[in-house]
Amino acid sequence: MSVIWLGEHPFLERDVVGGKAYSLNLMMNAGLPVPPAFVLTTEVCGQFHAAGGTLPIGVSAELRHALSRLEERIGRGFGDPARPLLVSVRSGAARSMPGMMDTVLNLGINAEVERGIAELTGDADHAADTARRFREQYERVVGRAPSPEPWEQLLEAVGAVFGSWNSSRAISYRRHHGIADEAGTAVIVQAMVFGNLDDLSGTGVLFSRNPLTGDEAAYGEWLPRGQGEDVVSGRSDPLAVDTLARTQPRVHEELLAAARKLEQLAKDVQDIEFTVESGTLWLLQSRAAKRSPDAAVRLAVSLHESGLITRHEALWRITDDQVAALRRPRITPESRAEAVVLARGETACPGLATGVVVTDVDSACAQAESSVDVVLARPHTDPDDVAGMIAAKAVVTEVGGSTSHAAVVSRELGTPCVVGCGAGTLERLAGQRITVDAGTGEIFDGALPLAPVSEAGSPALATLAEWARDVVGDPEVGMPELFRRAREVGLHKQEEDAPAR
Amino acid sequence: MSELSILQAVRFKGRCTAEAAAAVAGVSPSEASQRLEQLAGSALVSGAVNSAFRITAEGKQRVAELIAAEAAEVDGNALAAEYSSFDEYNSEFKAIITAWQMKDPETPNDHLDQEYDEQVVHRLGELHTRFAPLLNGIVALADRLKPYPGRFENALDRIVSGDHTFIARPLIDSYHTVWFELHEELIGLLGRTRAEEAAAGRAI
Repeated sequence: MSVIWLGEHPFLERDVVGGKAYSLNLMMNAGLPVPPAFVLTTEVCGQFHAAGGTLPIGVSAELRHALSRLEERIGRGFGDPARPLLVSVRSGAARSMPGMMDTVLNLGINAEVERGIAELTGDADHAADTARRFREQYERVVGRAPSPEPWEQLLEAVGAVFGSWNSSRAISYRRHHGIADEAGTAVIVQAMVFGNLDDLSGTGVLFSRNPLTGDEAAYGEWLPRGQGEDVVSGRSDPLAVDTLARTQPRVHEELLAAARKLEQLAKDVQDIEFTVESGTLWLLQSRAAKRSPDAAVRLAVSLHESGLITRHEALWRITDDQVAALRRPRITPESRAEAVVLARGETACPGLATGVVVTDVDSACAQAESSVDVVLARPHTDPDDVAGMIAAKAVVTEVGGSTSHAAVVSRELGTPCVVGCGAGTLERLAGQRITVDAGTGEIFDGALPLAPVSEAGSPALATLAEWARDVVGDPEVGMPELFRRAREVGLHKQEEDAPAR
Repeated sequence: MSELSILQAVRFKGRCTAEAAAAVAGVSPSEASQRLEQLAGSALVSGAVNSAFRITAEGKQRVAELIAAEAAEVDGNALAAEYSSFDEYNSEFKAIITAWQMKDPETPNDHLDQEYDEQVVHRLGELHTRFAPLLNGIVALADRLKPYPGRFENALDRIVSGDHTFIARPLIDSYHTVWFELHEELIGLLGRTRAEEAAAGRAI
């Protein structure tokens, strides 16, 4: 079987359809609204290369048939300017590897379809922008300009993804990692939905719980009349997702229910991309959310309390790096709330330091030698500033971004550094005692009290530590070691354990 | 070896040993050592502490005068043209070094992914090859800069043979250190400042 429809099979093999299609299939089987999609399997990849880099006739016939079924299911026509169907074409290798072609979005656009979209959405600029992004992405992936014929675009894009499996980079990657050349990649073809169709349309991102604070409430952004990468690209300012609760309460409710369901399926906090087309919700992607170290601890506890994971699993949800980050001294929340921000800039090397601001290298070196903590503030850095950067506890510059020389050198030194604080910063800061939080890019007045997160200050950490001590059976073990040992012991005890509810 | 070569070395290095000065000035360590001892008797360079020399405020002033004098001798238009090409490489170079240090804006490179690191080194090696003709053009215009091609070669040799500290580590003659100093030389010889360069939207 060359073509597999997602959502029509209770179980698919990752090896055959790839990881992305595998998880889309799970979502569809759970009854969640996902735009219709089918997959050309990894077997086709082998046939493609065996046939000398073309799709076998039988496969292209199956592809054409699948496409017309896709048109029926979504009620649009490929290349039809009045009701245009656009598709995304993605690779579905079991793991992403360098050299592999990844994604072509908005495939199916030509000049007529672009005009059709402009009419349909009433936004000619956005249609032109979509067409331009498509052409650029297509040229990057396929290596030439798209044909005006949508079917040709599809054949070429599919061929480019399969072809990239045997690019020299991908081959050397597989050699290096011991992946068989025969494994092949799948190709996913999925109908695209329009977030820019009307006032009941838009696009957004929803986290099933807050990945910054660890709060249990869902958290997200919503961009009315937004399409595709508009939210991620930062092109427009999105609204809080709660806005959707006021404008389209049913859709909002459905979205939150979907988030809960996805969380149950994955047993982890989800980062969900969604689009609403004329009042209909579509889920585009769901994956485990990246989270801050603080949130990781709170979420591990709250996932257990929601009955999704066992205590042992909760202990496995935090890494050594996250524990180390929590144990690093930081500005206490109380003092941060009262602190005066003197300047703000861009993070070049995260970290915290306090010291007296010195604006020239010689006195930075001299004062550091007499054991004074100094923060070196410079308009920008020259090679002759390096000695001062080494002597300083932190570095601040007026101009320059995160790739500037100051940024590069401070990262090599591991010295907290904030760049691009703006002209006049030196004059304002010179001689003052300050606290630099290079993680947030903020510079505070005075030496703020720094302390690691304690069990007393963080109920979630206290809970998790208590579970860990129970598992280890030794109340005396200290913090970083405690969690490591609890995980090791936990490996053998999983079966005795149960989620809270 | 000119007075400027040796003073510039001391200025760049902050605390400059004879070995470091030798690499920058393109002479033997013993010759560099001899010149440093001579200069240490003047007001331009302070005497060695732990065999490292430091430039004085007067020394920095002298460097500025000598660079201005040298700039008057250099074909400024030709150098400005080379510099505008340099600026394109500079942006690319910074992106490569940043990729070496950071996998994305929030993720420091932990150097556990060998494939990733190899790709960054590959990009650097590739840039080195493309950059070489431009560098030779620059050196042809300003003779004092002729140690630079050898310094870049040396850094790349060290990197390719597995010593990744020679990518960006300060104080040693890493690829980034050499690039940083070359950039400073170009700005100086064109009579510009980093502040002006930043204001003109060029990477600094």
